[in-house]
Amino acid sequence: MAHAHSAFGRSVSRRSFVKGSALATGAFFINSRHSLAMLREEPTSPFTAPWVQPLRFPSYAVPLPSWQPLDGPPVDPQAHQHYEQFAPQYHYDYQLCSAYARPHPQLGLSLLSTFCGCMPGPTFMMRYGRPALVRMRNCMPNSIPGFGSPETTTHVHNGHHGSESDGTPFYQLQPGTYRDMHYVNACAGFTMTPGGDPLEAKHTLWYHDHCLDFTAQNVYRGLAGFFLLFNDKDSGDEHDANPDAFRLPSGVPDGKRVRNRYDIPLMLIDMRFDQNGVQTMDTANMDGHLGDKLTVNGLVQPYFEVERRKYRFRILDAGPSRFYDIWFSNGMEFQHIGNDGNLLPAPLPTDHVKLGVAERADIVVDFSQLPASTTEVYLVNRAEQTNGRGPTGNTLPMAAAPKLLKFIVRKDAVADASRVPATLMPRPAQDLPVAQERNWHFGRSNGMWVVNGQVVDINRCDAAIQRNTAEIWNISTAGGWAHPVHVHLEEYQILSYNGQSVAGTSLGGRKDVFSLYPGDQMRIYMKFRDWVGRYVMHCHNVVHEDHAMMIRWDIVP
Amino acid sequence: MSTTPERPTDVREHALSRRATLANAILPGVLLLLGGCAGAVRRAARGENPEIPARRGASVVRADGTRCFRNHRLVDQDGNVVRFQEDLVEGRVFAATFQYAKCNGICRNMTEKMRAASELLGDAMDHPIQFYMFSLAEDSPADMKAYMQAHGLYGKPGWRFLSGSREAITDIRWAFGFGEPDEDLDQNLSAHTGMVRYCHHPTDKWAACPALGDPRSIALLMLRCFPCDERPEIDALKGAFAQGGTPIPGYRAQPPVPPRGDA
Repeated sequence: MAHAHSAFGRSVSRRSFVKGSALATGAFFINSRHSLAMLREEPTSPFTAPWVQPLRFPSYAVPLPSWQPLDGPPVDPQAHQHYEQFAPQYHYDYQLCSAYARPHPQLGLSLLSTFCGCMPGPTFMMRYGRPALVRMRNCMPNSIPGFGSPETTTHVHNGHHGSESDGTPFYQLQPGTYRDMHYVNACAGFTMTPGGDPLEAKHTLWYHDHCLDFTAQNVYRGLAGFFLLFNDKDSGDEHDANPDAFRLPSGVPDGKRVRNRYDIPLMLIDMRFDQNGVQTMDTANMDGHLGDKLTVNGLVQPYFEVERRKYRFRILDAGPSRFYDIWFSNGMEFQHIGNDGNLLPAPLPTDHVKLGVAERADIVVDFSQLPASTTEVYLVNRAEQTNGRGPTGNTLPMAAAPKLLKFIVRKDAVADASRVPATLMPRPAQDLPVAQERNWHFGRSNGMWVVNGQVVDINRCDAAIQRNTAEIWNISTAGGWAHPVHVHLEEYQILSYNGQSVAGTSLGGRKDVFSLYPGDQMRIYMKFRDWVGRYVMHCHNVVHEDHAMMIRWDIVP
Repeated sequence: MSTTPERPTDVREHALSRRATLANAILPGVLLLLGGCAGAVRRAARGENPEIPARRGASVVRADGTRCFRNHRLVDQDGNVVRFQEDLVEGRVFAATFQYAKCNGICRNMTEKMRAASELLGDAMDHPIQFYMFSLAEDSPADMKAYMQAHGLYGKPGWRFLSGSREAITDIRWAFGFGEPDEDLDQNLSAHTGMVRYCHHPTDKWAACPALGDPRSIALLMLRCFPCDERPEIDALKGAFAQGGTPIPGYRAQPPVPPRGDA
């Protein structure tokens, strides 16, 4: 205790020092070894009865009528790359605002940060070949109590957009200001092949806040929604007469319009609530935030009535830090058709899918295969996770796995025109020569999350990449943490995962985010096409991202 | 520069007379009682929950939305005794780093970055941001003072180097999110955190960033703890970071959207 002596001067005896400390700190240090072995504990949320409320869906984002101009100054075409080539056919007036919501009838009202007053935000139903412009207006108050920031920047996750419309942390929208986002809705490679490479089509995207240092707080508080893209193949119509159409189960619910809708987006966020039932977050927890209430589309443990037919579920892990191992409680098989934004080369029959933060699983489930006596099935998470650093790697027994959503299966079989084709989207060619190979190590130094030993400085370019070239990146991690690594702009192809080929697995398509577990190594091939400007790669455990686990890379002409 | 350790101002080391001893024995009890009553009245008025859970780094959010930590006894570079919650946190806006005077690692670099950030903010903000450096090595006031003098921080408004018992500092460090579950790593001085925790206590706004980053980024991120309409324009920070939006013509702040009918 030499330092204790010097800290308080000779006049403070060891006894008074200890007494003072004990008075101040209480008895919680008595078993210090034990308490040190534990990570931060958080209060338990109030009890909520499961399955008392139906699953809800956001309404579609509605474009302005063609005759109605955007409110405010006209769009500046010079502010956007390829604006003339992709002149917007649709304009959206979009508001970010505070809104009250109750995720469960037994919980209190929480003040959320939202897109257009709802969580998840309105669903964008976009189509390839139809460019759009979204005027994002920040109408949040100047200050919001507790966690979160009223400043935002909206990133369309997995979007192939210009840097100026990517919603990266280089932009920051204060309350009372707006920004025009130009979404070209074109396949990557459009500067090399007219119309772009159709094999690069992406379908299940989502949009969320990307504000530097506050992404976790803002997304958790409600700033997230689905951005779905359709084309002639994934047309969103199971009755499509086009012979090229996949005719997957179709019909995305639009608010309360849920009849005959079989393409169901499910946004998973785990939340925690205080004793008053108000959403809470431990913002001092740098490992990651874990909630004890699993929500689907912003509701705690809702139910969903399904018909005896095929459904497409687009499951999104919207974080902030939880990993999922999604099963059905009866262990039934389903078709895994899509990974992140894209469709796989072929559907994979499986009984579970694993999701890291920001990963999506596109699955088709056939409830008509269930025995007539089965009227209830649950969506469960069997990934064990005890802290925000990542899952333990253990698979929970089915009976002990937390339930997310209850499916109430209707009795009678119904007609089902949908199908799951034997082949979907082949992997795009790796036809661009590799200009450079880079190594990125996601690690930890001095209690900070770092990439290649450095914390983020968004004024520093960590990689300058020539436009319309390809690179190979070796991404690795170490320590006791899992890092879902997300690269903006383009999807990549995994060449090897821990030295093994991923062909024929669910990783055999394309990815925009991939979960690296301790000691993992991934080698990816990635093209950088069409745009120039600043982009980022970061850990999508958004708590890690907010604490500097990010790099900036630029595409240069 | 004096090398004699400064003494806490409330410490009496002289031999006391019997009367004084008696008074000293009774007076604190009376003061404690009165103080406790006054505190209880204050707490009742604020709706404060004084019970902090018995775990490391715990805090409680009170009814008014502000956060309450254990009120640790600390000493600053001048030997003044301060209380963590009452004197450093309550109603304050601050940036906190963890370091120690004899560090040969990242501490001095962190301090330089923080000083640069504070200078960017300083005049414009009229020093409402407090800069706290918490000693990880139970530094003496003399050591802390010398460290601050070496960095040109001694006497600078808002700056404090604070020391306390290992347990108290560990509790504060954990409360700010800089704890490691592995005990050896947690107490390993050579691997201590390089992050800065910043806080706007009145609105319970908390965030963190690396103290080893660009001072302009640190300064801007600290500014962002303030409500948007209370921030000054600082020329040195313009364009250094993120590009803002275009003002919405005729914009008026809007109240929150009420809950949906079925919420």
